[in-house]
Parts: sequence; C-alpha cells; structure tokens
Amino acid sequence: MNIKRVTEKEFAAWVDALTPKHTLYAPQAKEDRFAFDRLTAGEDLRLDYDVSILPPKKYFLPQKEVLIKFDRKGNFESVIAHEPFVLFGVHPYDFVAMDQLNTIFEQDNYDVHYMARKEAATVVVSDVQVASADVFAGCMGNATVEDRDGYDVLLTRLDDGSYVVETRSEKGEVLTGLLSSAVDADEVTLQQREQVWNRTREQLQKHKLEMTPEQIPALLDKSYDHPLWAEKAELCHSCGSCNLVCPTCYCFTVEDELNWDMETGQRYRQWDGCMLTGFATVTGNHNFRDKKEARYRHRYYRKGKYVWDMIGEIACVGCGRCISACTTNIANPVEVFNQLSEEQQ
Amino acid sequence: MMSATELSQVRDIYLPQKATVTEIYSMTETEKFFRFHLEEGEAFDYMPGQFMEVSVPGFGEAPISISSSPTRVDKTTFEMVIRKAGNVTTALHALVPGEPVGLRGPYGTHFPVEDAMKGKDVVFVCGGIGLVPVRSAIHYVLDNRDQYGEVTILSGTRSPEDRLFTEELYEWKTRSDITFLETVDKADARWGGTVGVITTLLKRIQINPANTVVIVCGPPIMYKFVLLELRKLNVDNSQIYVSLERHMRCAVGKCGHCQINGLYACQKGAVFNYADIVDVKEAI
Amino acid sequence: MAKPKIGIFDFACCEGCQLQIVNMEEDLLNLLALVDPVEWREAMSDQSDHYDIAIVEGSITRDEDAERLRKVRESADYVIALGACATIGGVNKLQNNFAIEDVQVMVYGDAANMPHLASTPAQAIHEVVKVDYMVHGCPIDAHELTHVVRCLLAGKQPVMPDYPVCVECKMKENGCRYEYGEVCLGPVTRAGCDARCPSNGFWCFGCRGYVDDPNLEAAASVMEQYGKTLDDLKSKMALFGSAQEHKL
Repeated sequence: MNIKRVTEKEFAAWVDALTPKHTLYAPQAKEDRFAFDRLTAGEDLRLDYDVSILPPKKYFLPQKEVLIKFDRKGNFESVIAHEPFVLFGVHPYDFVAMDQLNTIFEQDNYDVHYMARKEAATVVVSDVQVASADVFAGCMGNATVEDRDGYDVLLTRLDDGSYVVETRSEKGEVLTGLLSSAVDADEVTLQQREQVWNRTREQLQKHKLEMTPEQIPALLDKSYDHPLWAEKAELCHSCGSCNLVCPTCYCFTVEDELNWDMETGQRYRQWDGCMLTGFATVTGNHNFRDKKEARYRHRYYRKGKYVWDMIGEIACVGCGRCISACTTNIANPVEVFNQLSEEQQ
Repeated sequence: MMSATELSQVRDIYLPQKATVTEIYSMTETEKFFRFHLEEGEAFDYMPGQFMEVSVPGFGEAPISISSSPTRVDKTTFEMVIRKAGNVTTALHALVPGEPVGLRGPYGTHFPVEDAMKGKDVVFVCGGIGLVPVRSAIHYVLDNRDQYGEVTILSGTRSPEDRLFTEELYEWKTRSDITFLETVDKADARWGGTVGVITTLLKRIQINPANTVVIVCGPPIMYKFVLLELRKLNVDNSQIYVSLERHMRCAVGKCGHCQINGLYACQKGAVFNYADIVDVKEAI
Repeated sequence: MAKPKIGIFDFACCEGCQLQIVNMEEDLLNLLALVDPVEWREAMSDQSDHYDIAIVEGSITRDEDAERLRKVRESADYVIALGACATIGGVNKLQNNFAIEDVQVMVYGDAANMPHLASTPAQAIHEVVKVDYMVHGCPIDAHELTHVVRCLLAGKQPVMPDYPVCVECKMKENGCRYEYGEVCLGPVTRAGCDARCPSNGFWCFGCRGYVDDPNLEAAASVMEQYGKTLDDLKSKMALFGSAQEHKL
C-alpha cells in the first residue's frame, strides 16, 4: 500500500504515539532474555530481541483459555474474546508459524475462539535484527516474509538506524497513518532493504540443513523405523519443553472446573504436548503411544510430514527455540533431518 | 475482518447443546444404558458408527459412540451404553432421568450401511463394548433387511455377565434371517454356549469373501487377531471396516490427541476402511 | 444437608502447609462455606470421631504416630496427604540416609536414648495407610488444595499431573534455569505448582516428588555439559529425593 522511510527518532515517536491508543503486545526484556508482553512505554520496546522465550502464538491460542461457561443445569455459553490488539514486532519465522495455525484453525471446523483473536489482531512483522544462537529460519525459507501475505505492517531496520515501514493492509494503515510526515521510501532505500534481507537470510542459518525443506516429507517417508528415534529418545525427559516453545505446536487439552458455588464453572483449554507421557492415553489406561521413541518420532513427523500433508507447509519454521529449550540436547530438528538424510544414502 | 456481531453468529464447534437423560439403567456391573433427548435446537443427523461428545457440566466431556439407529429413533434421541471408567463416565453413571447433559456432534465417519454394505453379505465382529456402536448398524441393516445379503453377527465378551443387550441378543439368535454366534472368554456354571476368544467364532463361519463386507469393533488388542483370521478367510482389506478408539479432547480435528500417525481419528475415523490404514503403523 | 466434616491432622512437619490454609484469606471463607472443620489443632480446639475428609500433614517417624494415623484413616471417608512431608516423606527422609541411632545422637545429643524421643525411619503417609489424594509441595499451593476439595465434594477425581515442572515453567515463559548455570530438578519433578520457584528466579527443588517415570540418567548425562558434576545433581536431589523409589 505504501512504503515509508522513517528516521530512528520518528520511529520512536511513532511507537510512543501508538502505546496509549492501542493495546500493543511487543518484545521486551525478561531478565536477560525476551518475551512478548503488554507494551505501555515505547522505551521498553526491544526490536533488537533475538528470539522471544514463547512465540507470539500465545495471543491467538493462550496457554489457558476459557471456551465455555456452564452451570450444572446444563446451560452452556461460549466465551469469545474480540478486543482489538496489535502484535508488534513479530519475527518473520513466527509470522509464518502463525499463518499456518491460522489456516489450521480456520479450515475443516472453524475455531471461533482462535479466529476471534486472529481477526482482532493487527500484526506488525519486524525483520530480525539480531540472530539468536540456534535460529535456522534461513534454511527453512522463513528468514524474511516479503513475498508472503497476511500481515499488516513490515518493519525493516536499516544500518543507519532508520526503519523502512511497509503498510500491507487497511488494518496496518490505522497504525502507520500516524507516520504521515515520514517520506516515501526511494529506490535506494528499497535496495538497502533488499541488502538487509539478503544478509538476514544468510545470518539466520546457525544450523545448516543439508536439504531443502520440501525434501523433508519424502525423507520421513523412508525413516519410520530408523534407529535414530530410539537413540535420541533415550535422553528424553518427556517434559514437553520442545512442544511448549514451538510456534507451530497447537495441541491442547480441555478440562472443566467448578467455581466455589459448586453450580457454575468453566470449560477451558490448555496447551498440551505430544511428548508428554499420557498424551495418547485413553480412559482405562491404554496408552496408544507409550514408548518415548514413538512420541519423539511423532513430533518430528508432525513437523515434517503430517502438517505438510494437511496444508502443504513444513511445520518447522526454523526458530530454534526447541534446540535451546531441550536440556538434554536431543531436540535439534536440523541434526535429526541431516542425520536421517546421511544415513539414507 | 469479522465484526463482533458477525463472530457471535458463527457456530462454536465446542459448544454443547442441552439434552436430558430420559432413561438410564444398568446393563452390567460397569455399563449403563442411557437415552438422551435433545431439549431444543436442531436435530442431529447421524449414521451408525458415529459418536457424540457428551458433557456433564463440571466433569468434562467424553466421546461416546451412538448405539441407536436413525431407523428406530427420531433425530433428537440418542441411545448410548457407557462404561464407568473416568470422571465423565462416573458422573454420567450418577445421573437420574430428568438431569441435564450437553451433547455435540455427531462426529466421525460411519459404517457404510448405505454404500459398500448394500447388496452384500455382512459380517459383524464385536468384542465387548464394541457391540455398542455396531448395534446401531445392526439395527439399520435389520430395518432394511432386504437390501443386504446374508447377515452374520459374531459377539464375544469376557464373561456372561458382560453381555450387553441380552434381550436383543436373544432376538437375533432366534431370527431365521440372520446368523448369530457368541462366545465368552470365561464361562460360569450357567453358561452353556461357546467358550473362547472371538476368533473362535470366525473359524466356524463360511463366507463368500468376494461378496462380504466385515465390520470389526472391539478392544485394541482384538484387531490384530481378527484381521489375521479374516486374511485366512480371503477377505480383501478393502472389504473390512474397523472402528478404532483413541484419546480425544475436541473431536473436531484440532487438539491432536487422537492422531494415528497423521490421521485424526475423529475426522478420518473412528470407522476406517482397513485398506486405507493397513500401512498406517500406529493404527492396529 | 449437613456440610461435610473435615479434620486436619499433623505429624512430623513444620506445619507450614496448614499455615498456607490459614493464610488463604477470602478462599478460606469460601472453603468454610462448603465444609465444617471439626478438628484442626492449629486453628481450633474441637474434636470429632468421624470425618468426611481427613487432611494429614507431616511424615510418620514414630510408632505411636503410625498408630494415630491408622485411627485417623479408620475415621475418615477420604484421606488427603498434605504437603511434601506427607506425600513423599519430604525433608524428613533425609534421616533415612543414615542409621537411625546416629541421627538421634546427632539431633538430641545426650538425650538420644530418652524413650519419648525414639524415632523410626521417616515414612510418607501412603506408606502407612491408604491415601486417596495427594496435595504435593513444600509448602503446598492452597489453590491446589481447594481445587482438590471442590473436586472431592463434587464427586470428581482430581487429576494430578504426571508431567514435569518444565511444562508449567514454559507456559510461564521463564528462562530455563540451566541457562543460568543452575541445576534445576524441573525436568524430573511432578508439575502442579505452576513452576513457582523458577518463576521467582530459583531452580526447582523437587518438592513435589518425581514424575512417575523420571529420566534421572538423562539429567545426570548433561551435568558435564553445563559445567556441573554428578555430585551437584545428587546433592540437589537429596533434599526431597532421599529414600524415594527412584534413585540415581
């Protein structure tokens, strides 16, 4: 729609102008790491974050979310949130992950709880300024998202500290309209942005995938009985950390809780993980995935094949969060896929 | 972008409809029969083999197979047989007629009573409470008896006390237009019938494999052995339908618990054509 | 209908878990609206001979305590073990690492042989009587207790997590304590505390006991990588992991 070049100072003033007007969630320091949280003061914004501990999917699919209110007389009522908010500073790989979840929650049974949040959100993507230790989005084709749709504003920081602010939708314009004094980006600026993108694609490859992402489903087709699954799973705590920090994991459990009046209550959903021991256990205690290696393998098949079969995308975007979250170092997808590939040949 | 009003008109896939227990009685030590009636709202079109999510508010939801046939009850009435096992089913067992539950569904695939089974000989193989969903298909077939060939029902339970729908079993046994065989794993003093696992019965029947559709439903352990026996009888995999149980939370293909490798059992199942899952490693 | 009767009992412990109940403030009133406490030494002087729910804090470290606990069990429909001392033996089980005579001398010195100080190796209460439900933790989380009581009153079996603290810690969006150079027992410890310690900048002490199938070997295997030794891990595990079923 329009592309502006905004000086560092103008940019800071713009964020300051946005915070009182909108409910902004943005990356901020959390001890020596980063997390998305409500932004109330522009100075707390940290677009130089390397990676947030949890992906911003928590604003579309919260850790715990009430779906239904009920009473014991059998009355059920949906609880649907639709207060508008702005997700500010989403990294491209996280946007790709959110876009996948958007598809999954929209198609084949429209999930109104998820979709209401998604519809209420304005998504401002920010290109990565500092690469995290384990990021490999560059190998997954997700280091930048200039050729993707579905977000509202794209921010790219140039070397002189100024920002290229590209408005991609009417929702985005509501935010960038406040930048009316900024100049339109000229040809040189756009070239500089290209250079940033090229560099980012190179830098976000802390682990090197020895294949194209599109080759992963076929690789997994041949790897079901590979010894790697059991070898790696030997050190698995079944702690679900890899699931919980993953931007494309969306499995959940559903529970009822009663209030103090013992008459009313709520049905909520909460994040779950296929790596947890009881994930596939039915009442009566039969566990359909009772071995660690089966659960470990299932996770990689979800990332590299099952979601691909569903929506045609690899459900590993290369954020690298699982790699650093796993205390026993068994959760590096690049290592897994490379090893499977080497031993196939 | 959808407005708040528009969103409020979208159907919530997780929202149950209020229903009432109209009948409840014990069938065995652990199983009770239930009849539910939908209070208001739309009737649910369902087919044999499908399931519903049944809610007891405060206790949660559980996926339960429908045991009635749309040929016998109207679409606001559902019969189910529920084993007392977890929190929801224990709460269901404590209900009395007139008390409320929530229902949503129906979900999943169904037995091919209107397509693959039409004009064919049909063999039902049921283990334990596997009879519960299959009863729906049996009623459907019996109510349209002239549209199917030979009908054989094989039913096995652990003991005589575990037999469900005993009056119907008697009716099936005495009907001349169907073959009904049953067995128990362990007999008691009064049991005069066959003793042995369900495959015992499969060894006793003669079928025309090319013209036979087999419906299999039972506990997880049963399938491997039944399928082996069906192979010996030369039944093609594509003529076999299995109903598979899995852990479920949402029943709408989101929560992930029911996945059999890449397949969501709540969407692609619970009734599967065996040929479609013979290579799916986590299936059987 | 009369409100269910609740008795609260204590054995070898610091009574800090009961203190958590006293400190519930508004929720204590909510709880009292549902139940009738008929015996609670820390808060009242009445006694009763039947309890719908007996809440038991502390470990069993004397024969006469075991006897008293059995009496409580006989008088109660449900028994809830309250806090780490009751659910897993807690810090009391540190003494089980030594000969009981040595422990008595260490603690009581010259008085070690006085008959009223005779002690037995510490036991969790389920090692003495049947326990219907456990509210883990040192101290307990009062919300978990009230959740359990509400479930029992409704006739619902409360679900105790069989997954590690990491699940809740990740949901809280904490940085991993291992990245801060600490040995954290979160990966092998039963969740349910909302990762209280890591959320406040401490490693997990393991006060809720191990998950059903803890991978202690995996925990041991990474010590070197984090610049730690096996002894570092073992010393962390001693506090709440002494004399437990799972060991390194």
